[in-house]
Amino acid sequence: MKKLSTALCMLLALSLILAACPAAAQDVGLIDAGLTCTITLGNWPSDTAPDAEKALFENYRAIMAVQYPNVTLVPDYYSYTLSNYVPMAKGGTAPSIFQPPFTDPQLLISQHLVGDVTDALEQFGVLDKFSPAYVEMLADENGRIYGLPRDGYVLGMHINIELFREAGLMTEDGLPMYPKTLQELAEYGQIIREKTGKAGLVFPASEAYGGWLFTNIAWNFGCVGENALEYQDEDGRWVCNFTSPQCIAAMEYIRDLRWKYDILNADATTTDWAGAHSLLGTGEAAMNFAADDSVDQPTANKGLPVEDFALVPFPAGEAGRYALAGGTCYMFSPDITPDQAIALMAYLKVLGKLPFLDESIIAGMRADYAAKRDRGAPVLPAISAWTDADYNAAKQAIVEEFSNVDMRLYSDFFGSLDDGSITLKSEEPVFAQQLYRELTAVIQRVITREGADVTKALQKAQDSFQEYLDDEINDY
Amino acid sequence: MSRAERAVRPGGRTVEHLKSWLIMLPGLVLMAFFVWEPLFESVRMSLYKTRNVELVRFIGLDNFVSVTGKDDFLQALVNTFSYTFWSLLIGFGLPVLLSLLIGETTRGKSFFRTAVYLPNMLPGLAVIILWSAFFSGEKSGVLNILLSRLGIPAQTYLTRADWVIPILIIIATWKGAGSTALIYMAGMAGISPELYEAATIDGATVRQRIFHITLPAIRKLAGTLLILQIISVFQIMYEPMVLTKGGPDNASLSLMQLMWQYAFGGSMNYGKASAVAVIVTLILLAMTAVYSWLNRRESDWD
Repeated sequence: MKKLSTALCMLLALSLILAACPAAAQDVGLIDAGLTCTITLGNWPSDTAPDAEKALFENYRAIMAVQYPNVTLVPDYYSYTLSNYVPMAKGGTAPSIFQPPFTDPQLLISQHLVGDVTDALEQFGVLDKFSPAYVEMLADENGRIYGLPRDGYVLGMHINIELFREAGLMTEDGLPMYPKTLQELAEYGQIIREKTGKAGLVFPASEAYGGWLFTNIAWNFGCVGENALEYQDEDGRWVCNFTSPQCIAAMEYIRDLRWKYDILNADATTTDWAGAHSLLGTGEAAMNFAADDSVDQPTANKGLPVEDFALVPFPAGEAGRYALAGGTCYMFSPDITPDQAIALMAYLKVLGKLPFLDESIIAGMRADYAAKRDRGAPVLPAISAWTDADYNAAKQAIVEEFSNVDMRLYSDFFGSLDDGSITLKSEEPVFAQQLYRELTAVIQRVITREGADVTKALQKAQDSFQEYLDDEINDY
Repeated sequence: MSRAERAVRPGGRTVEHLKSWLIMLPGLVLMAFFVWEPLFESVRMSLYKTRNVELVRFIGLDNFVSVTGKDDFLQALVNTFSYTFWSLLIGFGLPVLLSLLIGETTRGKSFFRTAVYLPNMLPGLAVIILWSAFFSGEKSGVLNILLSRLGIPAQTYLTRADWVIPILIIIATWKGAGSTALIYMAGMAGISPELYEAATIDGATVRQRIFHITLPAIRKLAGTLLILQIISVFQIMYEPMVLTKGGPDNASLSLMQLMWQYAFGGSMNYGKASAVAVIVTLILLAMTAVYSWLNRRESDWD
């Protein structure tokens, strides 16, 4: 079996390299053929990574060698965290390209810790094909671009169908009767707890995760616009607003999930993102607020069969039906040269991360989806960060070719994005991670102390975060 | 000319001094570069407004005022003392007890020595993950499975504000008690066997031997280990960071973890992080000074 997969990988490599040869001609005029520089590539698969993944990246390297022979690629296993990146950027040892989540670009840009690739993007002619929401996340106030979207996600809800079946929450068509509203979520969770003894909802309320999920719930309770969790006043000062009636109602809802309905997992305050997926995948919890980009976590990684897994829209609240949209991006070290910036765009083009279509990119997509299917992860349509219709249609066709799921288990989620029944919303605009931490502390208080004063706890968090905003922006 | 005569000659002394300095030089350079410079830099940084690791402007003690004025600092300070209290309650006597028991064992002494030291050889994070499975509040948690065999319903442990610090100390003690016990065993090995022989001839019981010979003999060693334990526990960080992330509701947040949060927890405020670090250092210096004073006073009495 291993020999077969190795042979397939080699075959794929050959086909990718052959396919890449004519593609090189497309770049004539875009890039100087003699472009000479060295780039270090973060997130290169480690030696312990699956063979298929390593082969895929070696293929990318081989294609680069054909298309841009004078560009030297230096693989780097670096995996980004804010804490490890800052000293590297300041010390000049950060890799040329790395992958932070969408919560960090604005912070990195404001601190001058990332490189500008605007001119390189213009040279490739893709600047105008960004989804405007992503441009906003990755640019500074002058419109200079410092990053590219790797992939986008929309928050929804993962479902363990086996537990729904055990609780009798199935339709006649054999589909899970999932909650459409936050109120139904509480009620269905209660039924699941009573019938199965398992948690109705896993809520990762450690570090920043709890606050992150809470913001989406708060939006659906009406914490948007003038009631937003943070906003800029007329003087341009950032104001924290955790004590609006909407936010208090949202936090009381969380409290009720624990004390009135008792549907949360036992160790919510120590559960993190990975732990939440683990609990759903191993049948300890029936529902988990999670996005379309992590469907492989409970399935391929934790063993939940794809036929027992569904992805549904984020439940609506009393005042709205929002879903958080975000993702991961590519950013670049602050000291890249213009030549390196162009070489990095060329690399991303080979990876299929720019909206270009050629045979090598399509072959790369095929390999990616085939690998997903082989791992037992659901092969689903991706939410594109580009507005290029041809590019998006090509990706959709390949997804359908490799599909391994009953799309009825996902159709409501993707349908809600297409028909606009759900409103996509980016993360809170400034210092989101700090905001999440403050809210997580409140969540921890209300789910561990039955008599906790919600308003008082929110007021305390608001004071703390306001001081932070004053310190970091308003009075800087 | 004898060696002593050579040593007292002015030129000879200079050469001897030079040799000594040369021997110490690598250590001094390393200390200066990796310990003293960062330490002084941290103190300097605590007095500045910072943008990541850059100093923006001098602000005096503002960082100190800001961090100490927040509830989470007070909570972290109380928690850190609580860690120390529970550590002394649970973890100080245990290594002494282990070393006494092993000392009194006549068979399999090497086995028991290895056995108590074994947890110390495990990687710290692996130990935390191991115990997180034990104390999991889910029905699949190891302790809950054991309790269910006794007919006791599943409990939560790490989500209880009043339990979380003792649990973390139990874990730290499980890992660290063995190595401390080995130090006590080494100390006990230095006690003259004649004392025990004389006591045995006089008809002393095991209890009397322990209380009148062994424990008085290791008293000074215990004093040193006490202060080392306090210093070590005061810097507790990775246990709560991995197991509880400082929760629930900051109930296990330590000062060192608070410092980490300021620096790396999303805000990148190295100035405030340095202020917390300086405060921790000052507290530890004060504790060490008290210990030294007590120790010196005790020596004077001796």
